Amino acid sequence: MATLSGLWFNLSALQQDALILTALLAPVFLLAGLLLRGIEVEGLTRALLWRYRWTNTLFAALMALSVGLGIAVIAQERALRHGAARAADKFDVIVTAPGDKVQALLSVVYLQPSNLPLLSGDVLARLQADTRIDLVAPIAFGDSFDGAPIIGTTAAFVSHLAGGMLAQGRMFATTGEAVAGASVPLPIGTHFAPLHGFLGIGRHTGHSAAGEAPHVHTGSGLEIVGRLPPTGSPWDRALLVPIEAVWLTHSLGGGHSEPAAHALAWSGASQVGAGNPKIGPPFDTDHFPGSPAFVLHSTSLAANYNAQRRYNDARSMAFFPGAVLSELYSILGDVRETLSLMAILTKILVAVGILSGLVALSKLFARRFALLRAIGAPKRFVLAIVWTYAFWR
Amino acid sequence: MPDLSIRNLSVHTGDGRTILRVPALTLPAGGSLGIRGPSGAGKSTLLHAIAGLTAAEGEVRWGETDIARLGEAERDAFRLEHMGLIFQDFLLFEELSALANAALPACFLPRQQRPAVRKRARALLERFGVPPQRRGVATFSGGERQRVAVARALSTDPHVILADEPTASLDRDNADRLVSELTALARAGGRTLIAVSHDPAVIAAMDRVVDLVDGELRG
Repeated sequence: MATLSGLWFNLSALQQDALILTALLAPVFLLAGLLLRGIEVEGLTRALLWRYRWTNTLFAALMALSVGLGIAVIAQERALRHGAARAADKFDVIVTAPGDKVQALLSVVYLQPSNLPLLSGDVLARLQADTRIDLVAPIAFGDSFDGAPIIGTTAAFVSHLAGGMLAQGRMFATTGEAVAGASVPLPIGTHFAPLHGFLGIGRHTGHSAAGEAPHVHTGSGLEIVGRLPPTGSPWDRALLVPIEAVWLTHSLGGGHSEPAAHALAWSGASQVGAGNPKIGPPFDTDHFPGSPAFVLHSTSLAANYNAQRRYNDARSMAFFPGAVLSELYSILGDVRETLSLMAILTKILVAVGILSGLVALSKLFARRFALLRAIGAPKRFVLAIVWTYAFWR
Repeated sequence: MPDLSIRNLSVHTGDGRTILRVPALTLPAGGSLGIRGPSGAGKSTLLHAIAGLTAAEGEVRWGETDIARLGEAERDAFRLEHMGLIFQDFLLFEELSALANAALPACFLPRQQRPAVRKRARALLERFGVPPQRRGVATFSGGERQRVAVARALSTDPHVILADEPTASLDRDNADRLVSELTALARAGGRTLIAVSHDPAVIAAMDRVVDLVDGELRG
């Protein structure tokens, strides 16, 4: 038994599928073999199929369409779940201000525009002081370029997203540099100016003031210096910049105590990266402009659980994206059931279609089937004609 | 070749009404019998009872075999091996060629018998002047279609031919030609021929004629 099990798991998914299909079809072929034993139905069936070829083609196309739609609906739903889970893979624990977890998840992982309240320096202080967490990455949104959201974060988190290695180029090293997601259609070396908000979406994101119209941040030039490998998440279509670049762009300071950063930001320098202000952790909690979310990562599962418990309090909300997705799925459970029901109904309709087709066929050919019986054809022959016609149809 | 004999044959409807009663009727091997009578007299019912297509009480004996007592599958096999049936409205498959129609029984005969059936069907069609490979049976004239149907009935070289109003859908010339061919083929092969018909020409060509009135045999 163990050997068989081993053999089975050594097979590729395609081979396993082929074997399952063969096992499912084997009884059909066995019955067909028994039914067709010693009789010739091909000629008559072929002639009948050819005579009603247009009707048969239409019938087959309709059945294929209904089955295809049923499968596509279910496959889409599964793909959505799979994609959603995959996108959240790199986000072990998310910390935001207390509020709606689903909204926070949609903003941080799926980059859906929303107004998340900012977490202040005291939360940052606790997180930065926590030695049990391997990675603390603030996340900031609010700008975009050519439809791609610009996300401010740390080089360590970008590296974590990339699985340790960028697909192209290098990591950003100054506030004037960016790393493009795998699906961003801009080559390395492209210079761009962030647009505040999202054109066409009609909402401001992150810490933008509600009602503020989208506008280009003049004097905020950025250059793409690297590209992420595909992550299968919405972050593939984002432009990732040092979080300090987002803060400076919005004249919020640089998150560090160096005066140069402040001076640059407030003096309207020609480029965010001018003067090379410090980027990355540790951030100065006194000069921390705020961040709508932090992503935490620890190599230990237990450390992640502990972090989620510790930072889930009155000042912050910590959650596992997977757990929120599960809640979301349970809310969407009815949709899944509806889709499944629709798929089942489609299959029933197909079955009814096939059977009604057979009944219509039987009525149409009733006299000639009676003739076949009269001249000595066994019942099996007539049955074989009906079923082979239905099968090839 | 055995005689065909009927003893105390009766057919009843579902509500128990008797629609056919034949106390005794014997037809020697190679003989021909014409059955005439008004519509609804039970002529086709008698033919179907002989062929085992209708549930009947009594005895329809061909040699040692009592057809009325056979099981369904045995009756199918008996008809296939010993009987050839011809119908008023031909009942051909329009999708098939003349030859495929005439050799239709080959599709469910044992494999070793199939070539002989196809050869015989081809020879019969050629004898009747119908091109074997011709398609579009629906476009054939009535006479041609009935000749294809006769070729189908004779393709298995049956011992008994049962013809139900074989000329009813034909004009006079075609009807006369068909009767002539059918009787010639029956006599040449020593086959027993039973024909139900309103057509005097068919009845006149038979060795013996019986009348059927209200399900009762006379004559």
